[in-house]
Amino acid sequence: MPIVTIDGHPISVEPNTLIIQAADRAGIEIPRFCYHPDLRPEGNCRMCLVHIKGFANLSPACTTPVTDDMVVNTAHQHDQVRQATKGVLEFLLINHPLDCPICDQAGECSLQDFYLHPDYGLHPSDVDPKEKVRKRKALDLGPIYLDSERCVMCSRCVRFSNEVSGTGELQFIHRGNHVEIEAFADRALHDPYAGNLADVCPVGALTSRDFRFKRRVWFHHHANSICAGCSTGCNVRIDYAANAIDRVVPRRNPSVNKSWMCDEGRLSYHNLQDLPRLESPLQRTETGLQPVSWEEAMLFAQDGMQGFSGKVSAVVASAMATNETLWVLKQCAYSLPKPTEIDFRLQNINPDIGAREDHLLRRLDKAPNSRGAMLLDVGAGRGIEAMARSAEDGKVGAVVILHYPPLVGIDDNARTAAFQRLIRGAAFSVVLTNTISDWWNGADVIFPVASWSEEEGTFTNFAGITQLTEAALTPPGEARPAWRALRDLLPVGSLGSRFATVEQIFDRGVAAISAFEGLHYATLASREATVYPPEGRKSYGQEGFAGR
Amino acid sequence: MTKILSEQAEYPDQQELTAAKRRGAYEAWHQVLAQRPADVIGEVADSGLRGRGGAGFPTGRKWRFLQFDAERPPYLLCNADESEPGTFKDHWLLERDPHRVIEGILIAAYAIQAREAFLYIRGEYASLLPGIGRALEEARAEGLIGPNVLSSDYSLDIIVVVGAGAYICGEETGLMESLEGKRAYPRVRPPFPAVRGFNGRPTVVNNVETLANLPWIIHHGAEAFRAVGTSDSPGTKLVSLSGCISRPGVYEIPMGYPLQQLLEQEGGGPLPDRSFKAVIPGGTSVPVLTAEEIEGVTIDFESMRQAGTLLGSGGMIVFDDSVSMPPMLRAISHFYATESCGECTPCREGTGWMAAIVDRLLDGRSQIDDLDRLLRIGNNIEGRTICGLGDAAVQPVRSFVSKFRQEFEALLHESSISNAPDWQTHGHGPRTARHGSVADEIVRSEPVAGRPTYRW
Repeated sequence: MPIVTIDGHPISVEPNTLIIQAADRAGIEIPRFCYHPDLRPEGNCRMCLVHIKGFANLSPACTTPVTDDMVVNTAHQHDQVRQATKGVLEFLLINHPLDCPICDQAGECSLQDFYLHPDYGLHPSDVDPKEKVRKRKALDLGPIYLDSERCVMCSRCVRFSNEVSGTGELQFIHRGNHVEIEAFADRALHDPYAGNLADVCPVGALTSRDFRFKRRVWFHHHANSICAGCSTGCNVRIDYAANAIDRVVPRRNPSVNKSWMCDEGRLSYHNLQDLPRLESPLQRTETGLQPVSWEEAMLFAQDGMQGFSGKVSAVVASAMATNETLWVLKQCAYSLPKPTEIDFRLQNINPDIGAREDHLLRRLDKAPNSRGAMLLDVGAGRGIEAMARSAEDGKVGAVVILHYPPLVGIDDNARTAAFQRLIRGAAFSVVLTNTISDWWNGADVIFPVASWSEEEGTFTNFAGITQLTEAALTPPGEARPAWRALRDLLPVGSLGSRFATVEQIFDRGVAAISAFEGLHYATLASREATVYPPEGRKSYGQEGFAGR
Repeated sequence: MTKILSEQAEYPDQQELTAAKRRGAYEAWHQVLAQRPADVIGEVADSGLRGRGGAGFPTGRKWRFLQFDAERPPYLLCNADESEPGTFKDHWLLERDPHRVIEGILIAAYAIQAREAFLYIRGEYASLLPGIGRALEEARAEGLIGPNVLSSDYSLDIIVVVGAGAYICGEETGLMESLEGKRAYPRVRPPFPAVRGFNGRPTVVNNVETLANLPWIIHHGAEAFRAVGTSDSPGTKLVSLSGCISRPGVYEIPMGYPLQQLLEQEGGGPLPDRSFKAVIPGGTSVPVLTAEEIEGVTIDFESMRQAGTLLGSGGMIVFDDSVSMPPMLRAISHFYATESCGECTPCREGTGWMAAIVDRLLDGRSQIDDLDRLLRIGNNIEGRTICGLGDAAVQPVRSFVSKFRQEFEALLHESSISNAPDWQTHGHGPRTARHGSVADEIVRSEPVAGRPTYRW
């Protein structure tokens, strides 16, 4: 393997590694605008110029592969490189409108970050603001706004739409310092992945319509999560404040979603916000369902579920639930009068979890944890439809239904109709859900549970990769994570009844199942998936505000 | 003086195939088809022919860099996107002797075993197209081009492509992008065109004049070619003379010919009652030479380099003592600002900034440190761009400002201090508008008789 020396640090890398990749790996900062790890390098911004021993001219680190014994010096060490980098940054800023106070990118803008770095910026302005080249502002391109004056022409967005989403809707027009990005005839973008354009843009030229003027980014708290919009399991970061999600952005994970996510998933948090949330346990009384305390509802449920000997117990699981919740649900099923049926599928058909919806990321299975449910063996029965038929025949005693409406798309009517039949036919029914709806009519107890983004846990994606999702928000009202509600339903002394954290459930429960063998919650939590821009990067806006 | 390119071009009927053949056209092509391609490359390499587009890279060596096999046959691209200001030699060749260029393309294509060759002509040369089309048709009808050329195993097609008029299309990788139907953005090298060029295949790009030399080299041999010109720059050079000179036009002179002699004899000296002030010897992308510097300089790659400039394309623009240099620089810097393709940062932003500063110098809005600022911007562009056009834009600015600094400093007085931006002067006096006052004086200084005075 070639050994390259960057700023005096010898780094051993695979052949054909680019200098900038070697430097990233070694934690040596090389400033860049146009380089993106998941796009073809273009070498146009000239910000990453480095000095290679023996070369007369400076070379772009983003297009030059390392060779053995190459000696590279960056702006941190080399005067000529520092001068060049400062020169390039100055060029990029001469026609920049400097409208940071009204720019959504402020706080996570490469221009700001690099300008504040003594090796690249902090130069006095040498241009008369009246002589700046003026371009179009706040151009509405549907999901994206274009502010041409802020653009550094790095072509990341053009390459994204050509190479990744494949819609090829963006191009350069004009020449010289009048060059601009344009969507054909300024029409709105028709790209189901358009939201990524705002992410790849290193400056404020492309900003998100959804996030526009919502909040300065340094007021955000962050939670590393997994998108619950489909079975792909894109790694995302939830940016939230005041117990509300402001936006969801992708985290880079080369083996799952690279740096991308679809717009459906990105905006799925709105569906969650729009749901009429159930905030208190409900219990059936003479006068219909009445709010009660958790303790009261819990006692009522524990009593009601027992004593149906000779009848079947039916447990409905959900692929929207975490592995930990499903594991506890399974323990719960064991504790019910036997025989017990448990399933998350409507019918006895193996779900096609990996079926693609498009060429990139989206999958037809709109639940994040179908694979986890299959591996946990909560999908091996006759299906919910068959349970509902048994209930109609009067064969079902206790029923436990765990259900969350999907975050992408709408609730399946066939499924909720089956729930209704199950509840009507069963002797006693317990429902755990996060939403006020009507399919639960007739149920005996209804527990309000936390939704995605409100509880931590793991999802296993279509390919069998188990990933951790952190909690961001506090559940509304008295809602609790479903695993806690289910744990409290377990008989005292049974397996799982004393688990106090998700970590305990995973390590001692889920990981005991052969498919999850060898996994530890702590290593999942160590975030192998990296965030782009790399987390080590100095981001001046976020210092002191990060953390929860 | 030996004429390699221009002797037959003087005949008015040279464009016609029969007349051209009577004077020896396509004899070299017959000769070449009997040789092995490697021998043709060897002959051209031995001749010492260097590229005439501007860079002067040895043609034989360029061909030998080519990496190809039977699955990936290479392409030959003939660069007729002659966009360097002050250069019109390729136009002259293509207009008067298209068969020489076609024969050159055939020889080069055979040497590298290309199956297709493209003649990329700039859009502004539309008037040449009928003539070139007719010449190609005639050659095709005679079986000189096409499948199984002259009953041999070799097949070649020549395709004419017209550009849409952009300076950057003359840059070889920009030309390839344009040919592929894309916006002409130069490519980052490596990979070099010899490895991956047009359509991802190995590609050779040669200038029109370079290729036009080939029939003579094949016909007379490498030795005869080396006998003309200097040892490092064999052969002749077509120069395009323009500007303040009595007889502008295209002249073929042997390499090593004194520049002074060219201007005085072929060019007929300065206009009446005038004297030479400066010459740009190789298109606007090379440093200007003052009248004093011209003495002793000869027209070849080495001598020009020693004089601190470049032979470039041989597009010579002459200035006499009636010309004020700052407005000339305005024209040149605006050319580069509008022709910068905008791909990489230093050239995109730097050329426009330099042009804006030259503008305000001439418009009486200068700032006291504007000349140093111009030089500083130039230093920040040079050597940091994807293609050579960034460097090209810097040379005229740097050489004009440093060699004619007094003329530029004259634009600085008075207005400069009061024109510094308010936030820099911290309130040192009011901002006064003196639009155009200094510039008017400069440009009004006696226009050359019969010539328009350019205001940019």
